[in-house]
Amino acid sequence: MYQELDKCPRSLLVCEKSNFEHEKSRHDTHVSKHYFNHKVSVVIPECGALSSRLASVINNFSKYFLVKNLPVYEFLDKDFLKNVVWNGALYALSYKTSIDQDNTIALLPNIVTIDLTNKSMDPEGKRYQRVLSGLKERVPLKSDFLLGRHNSGADGDRALQSLLSRYQWKEHRPVVSSHTLKDLPCPSLHALDLRGDQRSCDPHSFLEWLGAVSAGVSCDNTAASFLSTYVCPEPQTLVSQALHCTVSGLLLPEDIYSLLQELRRYFDEPKFTSWLSLTVHGFMDSPVSWGDAEHGFHKGGENFYNLVLFKNQDYWLHMGTGSHDRCPP
Amino acid sequence: MALNLANWLTAHLGYSTVAINYVVDLQQKKQEIGKPKCVLELFDTFPMVQGKSRPIKVLNRLTVVASDPSHFRPNAEYKAYDLVAVYPKTEKLFHAACMTFDVDIICVAVTEKQPFFFKRSPVNGAIERGVFFEISYTPAIRDSTMRRYTIANAISLMETCKGKNVIVTSGAEKPLELRGPYDIANLGLLFGLSEGDGKAAISTNCRAVHLHGETRKTALGIVHTMKKDQPLTVRQEEEHVPPSKRAKIETV
Repeated sequence: MYQELDKCPRSLLVCEKSNFEHEKSRHDTHVSKHYFNHKVSVVIPECGALSSRLASVINNFSKYFLVKNLPVYEFLDKDFLKNVVWNGALYALSYKTSIDQDNTIALLPNIVTIDLTNKSMDPEGKRYQRVLSGLKERVPLKSDFLLGRHNSGADGDRALQSLLSRYQWKEHRPVVSSHTLKDLPCPSLHALDLRGDQRSCDPHSFLEWLGAVSAGVSCDNTAASFLSTYVCPEPQTLVSQALHCTVSGLLLPEDIYSLLQELRRYFDEPKFTSWLSLTVHGFMDSPVSWGDAEHGFHKGGENFYNLVLFKNQDYWLHMGTGSHDRCPP
Repeated sequence: MALNLANWLTAHLGYSTVAINYVVDLQQKKQEIGKPKCVLELFDTFPMVQGKSRPIKVLNRLTVVASDPSHFRPNAEYKAYDLVAVYPKTEKLFHAACMTFDVDIICVAVTEKQPFFFKRSPVNGAIERGVFFEISYTPAIRDSTMRRYTIANAISLMETCKGKNVIVTSGAEKPLELRGPYDIANLGLLFGLSEGDGKAAISTNCRAVHLHGETRKTALGIVHTMKKDQPLTVRQEEEHVPPSKRAKIETV
């Protein structure tokens, strides 16, 4: 009867290692297919402040819009389709809807269950009319949306502005925060030892340590306070300073990719540290995790990936999801 | 006042729908079932659900405590409530409630030892009809003896129903007796529910109960009538003959 008490809700962690310059490396697919990201955090040991180039990449992340009470059929408007959806990447996700309670709507840049780029969805066609009337009359879905678009063309801007002008909207920029941590015990990682057999720590402990750094949980395990007994996993070194930078908002895969390219150039000059890490968190209530793999929320809606970059362009990729998800690619 | 507090807390805890329970004990003589207070009278503004842009939804629920099938006579007063529950005190009434009564919820005793055993046939009958079994968790919070009864009765129910058609509700009278939804889903593990059933007991099953309650106001669960505001012409009056008098439609 009580076998269930021992089990926790299932979570999956997929780890792989490769090199950015390898021809079969799939890092660009992984980044571009993870559509809805709400937070990116970068941890760089032995670094005091963001370099000017990194700071400029981060500050150039695209702005996004919060639109209130937008009916879904507006996405099918002819002008909007032609200038915005077909001409560049548009991402939209319903805002403040829980996937385990409400209708959650997401607009993916390429394939939707209503495939907006399919020829049969030509605005004059019958199928388009049927879908449009369905969304307008039979299932009138309205929601607050977060809309983000990767810049590509003035026509698109005009069509988007005309859509926005019909509803209540507000423009937002991603929020950036960074701080320098002093005297931080850091795990030592070696590019060839992904599993943590000898020269590195194992992936679960490493990710737990990263989480502790992001959440500001101290890994001292001092006897003075019993709030936390987290310790930095072995093998470890003590670094005098480390940079922790987070960006949050509706973050587009294209922007994250440019950040990744800039981080790859970090090791062009000699540095004290041998690794740095980039963590990207997906929205907990997004209907999809990678590509169009379904994502659900059971007791936790995590869907994130973490890249550890090494000096010689080697990298590790950890992808984590929760119980109601399909295995990441 | 307590009602208001409870609802504010619920909006902070993250529940999106709440039912106010009116209990009537039909075992005592001359008990009348009154009309519930209109929900709009109780609140000036409905609090927003935490993390959403919608306000909380409030329903009225009637719980009838009875020991004899003749006590339970559904009439027009029952229609005023969104949900109807019955708390059977005898095996005969439990059987009748599972198989025939027009109720949405059957309450399982949590404050005393279950006076009868759960037999498979009425439980399966209830599951087929879309009736749900309710386990209340607040008595378990109040007192350790009641905690034993709650767990024992819940486990005995799970052995018969295999975790299907169960909802876990609060029955709270004070705000401090409320707990968050994910905590209750975990509490379900102690009652013998699996991970998925525990989460369903506070989410999908509760929504199913709500929809079941709504079907009592419709004809055969398909046709839903609404009052029209405009004055009717003669032809429109003919069309507004109650659906039950029309040719019967096959239930899907």
